[in-house]
Amino acid sequence: MSWVVAVAQMLLVAVLAPFTIGVTKAVRARLEGRAGGRFGQPWRDLRKLLRKPPISPADAGMFFLAAPPVLMATSLIVAFTAPFVTTVGVGGSADLIVVVGVLLLGTVALALAGLDTGTAFGGMGSSREMAIAALVEPTLLLSVFALSTRVGTTSLGRIVEAGASDPARVFTPTSLLALAALGIAVLAETGRIPVDNPSTHLELTMVHEAMTLEYAGRDLAQVEWASAMRLTILLGLLGNLFVPWGVATELSPGWLAFGAVALVVKVLGLAALLAAGEVFLAKLRLFRMPELLAGSFALALLAVLASTILA
Amino acid sequence: MTTTLALAAPAAAPLLAALLALVLPWRTAAVVGVAAAVTILAGGVILATRVTGEPAVRGLVRADALTTWMLIVIGAVATLATASAIAYLRPESAVERRRYLVLTQLFLGCMSMAVLADNLGLLWVAIEATTIVTAFLVGHRRTRESVEAAWKYVVLCSVGVAIAFLGTVCIYAASVAAGGSGATALNWSYLTGHTAGLDPALVRLATGLILLGFGTKAGLAPMHAWLPDAHSQAPAPVSALMSGVLLSVAFYAILRYKAITDAVIGPAYTRILLIIGALASLAVAAILLIAQRDYKRMLAYSSIEHMGLIALGAAFGVQLAMAAVLLHVLGHGLAKSVAFCASGRILTTTGSPAIAAVRGMAARHPSLAATFGVSAVALLGLPPFSLFASELGIARGGFAAGHGWIVAVAFTLMLIAFAAIARHVLGMLLGPPTPPAFPPEEGGGPRPDGTSGKGGAASLGVLAAGLAVAALLGVWLGPLADLLDTAAAIATGGR
Amino acid sequence: MSDQFSEQLLNLFCGLFLLTAVGVLWRREVSALITLLTAQGLMLTGIAVVLATRHRSAEAFAIALGIGLLKAGVVPWMLRRVRRQVPAARETRPLVNVSASLIAAAGLTLVAYAAAKPLVALAPSASAHATPVGIAVVLLGFFLAATRQRAISQIIGVLLIDNGVAAVAFLATGGVPLIVELGVSADLALAVLVLQILTSRLHQAFGPTDLDELRELRD
Repeated sequence: MSWVVAVAQMLLVAVLAPFTIGVTKAVRARLEGRAGGRFGQPWRDLRKLLRKPPISPADAGMFFLAAPPVLMATSLIVAFTAPFVTTVGVGGSADLIVVVGVLLLGTVALALAGLDTGTAFGGMGSSREMAIAALVEPTLLLSVFALSTRVGTTSLGRIVEAGASDPARVFTPTSLLALAALGIAVLAETGRIPVDNPSTHLELTMVHEAMTLEYAGRDLAQVEWASAMRLTILLGLLGNLFVPWGVATELSPGWLAFGAVALVVKVLGLAALLAAGEVFLAKLRLFRMPELLAGSFALALLAVLASTILA
Repeated sequence: MTTTLALAAPAAAPLLAALLALVLPWRTAAVVGVAAAVTILAGGVILATRVTGEPAVRGLVRADALTTWMLIVIGAVATLATASAIAYLRPESAVERRRYLVLTQLFLGCMSMAVLADNLGLLWVAIEATTIVTAFLVGHRRTRESVEAAWKYVVLCSVGVAIAFLGTVCIYAASVAAGGSGATALNWSYLTGHTAGLDPALVRLATGLILLGFGTKAGLAPMHAWLPDAHSQAPAPVSALMSGVLLSVAFYAILRYKAITDAVIGPAYTRILLIIGALASLAVAAILLIAQRDYKRMLAYSSIEHMGLIALGAAFGVQLAMAAVLLHVLGHGLAKSVAFCASGRILTTTGSPAIAAVRGMAARHPSLAATFGVSAVALLGLPPFSLFASELGIARGGFAAGHGWIVAVAFTLMLIAFAAIARHVLGMLLGPPTPPAFPPEEGGGPRPDGTSGKGGAASLGVLAAGLAVAALLGVWLGPLADLLDTAAAIATGGR
Repeated sequence: MSDQFSEQLLNLFCGLFLLTAVGVLWRREVSALITLLTAQGLMLTGIAVVLATRHRSAEAFAIALGIGLLKAGVVPWMLRRVRRQVPAARETRPLVNVSASLIAAAGLTLVAYAAAKPLVALAPSASAHATPVGIAVVLLGFFLAATRQRAISQIIGVLLIDNGVAAVAFLATGGVPLIVELGVSADLALAVLVLQILTSRLHQAFGPTDLDELRELRD
């Protein structure tokens, strides 16, 4: 039973992911006074890309070919095991540190692929991505650690469950600091403004787009889809960690349906909020990036401290 | 009745004088200011006769022998400074005179308040208030240098004193945890009576913070950076007050806290911190005095040196050393204020603050040169001045407490300072007279002779009287001896 | 207010109090710094109100109200006036760059935790547990005043120290006596006023330079 639920959860995340991107694009367009596409537009793009055969650069090796499936697999594994709809069973068995590690694997795979093409843009994007990742990972781990001390375990399911059963524990200085740190880390990890601009192909600024520049057809579809899923996963985790209401804590159909609806609402709500925030921000210069990330690291460290001081 | 009046007058009289200075013509206001300073002195003397047995307490105000001693110091130095301010103010504009008179009186009121406060919170408030009031006095001349000095002074002292408040809060927390409540829990009289319940770890933390905080205000190295700038840029009579009393009032706060903390955690911890501060101050002063080029800065560094010596005596903590410390506070206050006032006159006469620009004073302005020279002799600690007696007392106290090596190091450093000051001052006084750096102009510029005019001679007379008192105290304490003994006993925690 | 709820609220205010202090180190624009300082004043007021409710004392409420007026009203207003006098005040060259100072902030918080041990040990209540937050803000204020070049940044550093001390006073003891609090607040307001006037004089005398260039006085 729980396996079925976990597979369903994974499918839900996979289906939801392009819509998440669609919502951010649509909201942003609306706020900037443009007409913009519909929510489902990314799905149409994916369908179109999936029909086309992939083309590889002449010098590309196995890393380039392996990256899209690896990226896809890491996103799916996290979607399979992390507590998005329910904290019971397989979907809820994930450990926070494992999730961070698995996501990092995807990042590294893509960075290697960018290098593998041998083009200038790919290498540049990879080196930038790795610089950012190196600064973001400690923050992610620390803020996760701050959250886990509250419950005494690093199991994502237990943390979300504890939050859902005792909402008062969610609004502590620890979790606020961790939220701020994790929020910035998520922005950096998913390549959003102010760290990276997903809608630009300007060589001076692009990070994520530079690495995927050589992909085409089915491979590009996989990379895009997996990236959309990463955004959905991280937003979903952020939502469930800090707004834990609505997560199914038992495996009854009613609860599960409610949990699924709650997840969709949370993720799309956060996506809209993200897009609205992006309208008011400018992308930071690359050399100012360490400042932002050091700030989020300091916040995460403070969160850990606060969890020992105030607890 | 008299006691109540004497308790209220030292703080109230300057505040009243400040109000009057807003409306009266400046000459009258300046005389009222002198009267207020004399009132502080009189209040101290009257209280001294009343509090030999029991301290006088009225609400938040309390006077014991230590308080009255400090009041006498404040009153004596304030009388000197306010009297010589009349001559200083003559060339100033009307607005500047008024501002000067109001602020100095507020300054005096705050210092009296600080020593009279029983509540340690009020003590803090009064000391912080002195920083605010004197900020504009330091920046009085509005030149680049004086604005810079005022800025450093306010920022450093505000930060330092805020640290002292953190220490006060710690003491209050310890006191509340031990059963105290409300404002009483922060009263010095209550705290000294209830040391048993105070948490030692917290008091230790508080001691460090208090020493750091009030040490900044007292000009102890390494928190002394503001002192030479502020003291050299302020008008001379204000420098006299800041150097002569304000530093000692800040140190008085340390003494009050020391009486509490010694009873809780023993004297060793405070002693080590004070000795470090004292030796650092002496070293800084000795080194920077050697190549000093500005005579007001020279006097400022000499203040750091003397505060170091006072801290050293307080660190030894024996009765003899403590009595010597208190005597040193008075002697240094008198001699340093005379020296600063005289240096102000030198500045108006020569127009240059540089030591090199002042040569052959003894030939050109004999009376001014004599005043400055004698005050320097007093500051160097030569007999018959009281600073000789008190330095001797501190040294003997140090040997009695078993800190001979520290005394040796300290007096070696003082010898360096001695040589440096002596060389600079002799250079200024002796030698062939040089023409002034620039010729006197109509209206502005330096006047040909600082001692000219009735007011000039009169204020030099006041300064000479101050030096005479300092000399007298060196040979004969008279009725002050008992007061000094009692005050020292209170400061060592014996009472 | 139930005990648990007030404890939550207190912790929340303390967390935000610390967060605003870190924010002050993070941002360079003076207007943002003033906004953060206002927010911090509000958090301090919040702490004072929660503690006053817990003690049910009218005096504590009066203090909380006064603190709120001073720290979230008067002081920011004066700072805005400073900013008008000294336009284009932006921290361009801090002695320690922002990333390093943020890391230092985390280190200072650790130090504060160690230093506040005696205060925490004194009374094992929720409010006493939060005192390291106050001490951390004091240290951050120190750091800011020591490493920043602009006059207004130094004022803000001094104010951070003051806020931190006030927070320690509230958290460790439930607030210092009214008479002391009045004096302290009056002193603070006057100190800011003095600094405001001095800032404009500095500006007149030196032009829009860094404090680092105040080098008229030295040995």
